[in-house]
Amino acid sequence: MTREAALNAALFVALIGTALVAQALGEGFIITLATKAAIFALAGVGLNLVLGYGGLVSFGHAAFFGLGGYATGILASHAMSGVPVATLPFTLNGSTEMLAIWPLAIAASGLAALAIGALSLRTSGVYFIMVTLAFAQMIYYLAISWPAYGGEDGLSFYVRNTFPGLNTFDPIQFFAICAGLLAAALGLVAVLTRSRFGLALRAARQNESRVVAVGIRPYSIRLLAFMLSGMIVGLAGSLYADLNRFVSPAMLSWHMSGEIMVFVILGGVGRLFGPVAGALAYIALEHLLGGVSDYWQALLGLLLLAIVIYAPGGLIGLIAGRRHV
Amino acid sequence: MSEPILDLHNLRKTFGALTATDDVSLTLHPGEIHALIGPNGAGKSTLIKLISGELRPDSGTIRFEGQAIDRLGPAARARLGLARSFQVSAVIPGFTVLENVMLAVQGASGASFRFLRPALRDRALTEPAQFHIAHVGMGTRAHMPAADLSHGERRRLEIAMALALRPRAFLLDEPMAGMGTEGARDLTAILSELRTEAPILLVEHDMDAVFALADRISVLVYGRIIATGTVAEIRASEAVRAAYLGDAA
Ligand SMILES: Nc1ncnc2c1ncn2[C@@H]1O[C@H](COP(=O)(O)OP(=O)(O)O)[C@@H](O)[C@H]1O
Ligand SMILES: [Mg+2]
Repeated sequence: MTREAALNAALFVALIGTALVAQALGEGFIITLATKAAIFALAGVGLNLVLGYGGLVSFGHAAFFGLGGYATGILASHAMSGVPVATLPFTLNGSTEMLAIWPLAIAASGLAALAIGALSLRTSGVYFIMVTLAFAQMIYYLAISWPAYGGEDGLSFYVRNTFPGLNTFDPIQFFAICAGLLAAALGLVAVLTRSRFGLALRAARQNESRVVAVGIRPYSIRLLAFMLSGMIVGLAGSLYADLNRFVSPAMLSWHMSGEIMVFVILGGVGRLFGPVAGALAYIALEHLLGGVSDYWQALLGLLLLAIVIYAPGGLIGLIAGRRHV
Repeated sequence: MSEPILDLHNLRKTFGALTATDDVSLTLHPGEIHALIGPNGAGKSTLIKLISGELRPDSGTIRFEGQAIDRLGPAARARLGLARSFQVSAVIPGFTVLENVMLAVQGASGASFRFLRPALRDRALTEPAQFHIAHVGMGTRAHMPAADLSHGERRRLEIAMALALRPRAFLLDEPMAGMGTEGARDLTAILSELRTEAPILLVEHDMDAVFALADRISVLVYGRIIATGTVAEIRASEAVRAAYLGDAA
């Protein structure tokens, strides 16, 4: 086992262990924190596919996080009111089944990512950052000004959605769902980035014209990566909505895009478990320092600065050493 | 002479007021090395980019194996078998030598949308890649990151990548640039062998290499071809001497 593989395993054990110990001690709040860390890590894993492996600095991934969340909230609230979400072109009823909600949340965020990616990937560099940000802000303002689903106030749905065979109200069981999906997403990204597709994606990050010169169009490779990334982040958004039983435009705001980016950068850009390390560190810092001082975000800023300057491989890179990707 | 593989017809390209390619017509025939020489800024790299599709001409046509390729993008042209190397050495620095060449094999195969099998365990990629790496004498370097290679080795890697594209024609832009005399001599031997794979359009400043390798030479000055001929003809040409070769010849 390489050092990085050992570190990755340790990180995952730490996440699960925290939740299990908290369960044994009856610390429900800590389980919720671990759940939040798993969900944020999942969002980071999604973003890492484009940011880390593809070198595409998307500043608009809150759009997919929020769309996944809103899809969940809207379906759940319609299930409660009994009014169909839509009757044309086909009847779409609300649902409180996670297994029905997830595919729709993933599809909604995936379609949005396809559309946003198709346009923004025609630009590069700072323009790409700005275009992705602009699209996300458009969706944010749409959510604010659309009163049907709470507008600025957001949308509560009071009862967590259900999963067959599990009691999702039990924090540890809901945690298990989130951790399971995180593991699945990590597996998916590990396989994808080693495949031919991943080879082309990683090559395009490093030298685009070289990739073109061997006959591969980076655009289509990147667009698919962007869409898959949006789908994973959308699933994270769905879980986040269920964690809080509430969605609001904040999930769609650029702060959220920045936060997801922080998980990735803090943990290690382009490292498989970077977002896991980053989300764990973020939640731990927020929990430990947030109580002490309102200025914990400033400390986080300093930490980020130090990471970017002295340890571009993030926490994973600090511990496991450099690696070429 | 046989049908040309590559046939440029009245190409013109301007950048604002500057005419970088001025009514250039040129052919590349099977088995030949056609050298393109000329002073800095003459438009040699521009011409290579027009052929590879990175730049679009203002007018003129390019035929490749009898087919007009003017409407094709650079990736599509590469898949047809136009293999290009860059003036500034261009490899994927974070990849190993093997991964670099695998990428080229993958590009030529046209199958990049495969998601499950690890590329490093895909023998349809690794076996041809190893073969081409051995061909350019880099067998012992296969697992070294490209960033750690010497300049000359990186040039060889580029040739291996070009070979992996199963090229029908090579476009090589100053492959000797920045190499010592010894490296240049080695590469000259490799290029001389390469012509049996596919003809080469060779942009090169190293006159020893050009005179040793070229079957024909075209001289480009201010975007115009002022002479095309055999090595002997170009060496003897007064116009070429005046415009370009100076004391070198
Ligand atoms: N993209 C570009 N925009 C503007 N001018 C360019 C561009 N590319 C090349 N040129 C100009 O065209 C001329 C030919 O350049 P180039 O083809 O690189 O010459 P060479 O390779 O023969 O040294 C130069 O004067 C150069 O400055
Ligand atoms: Mg040049």
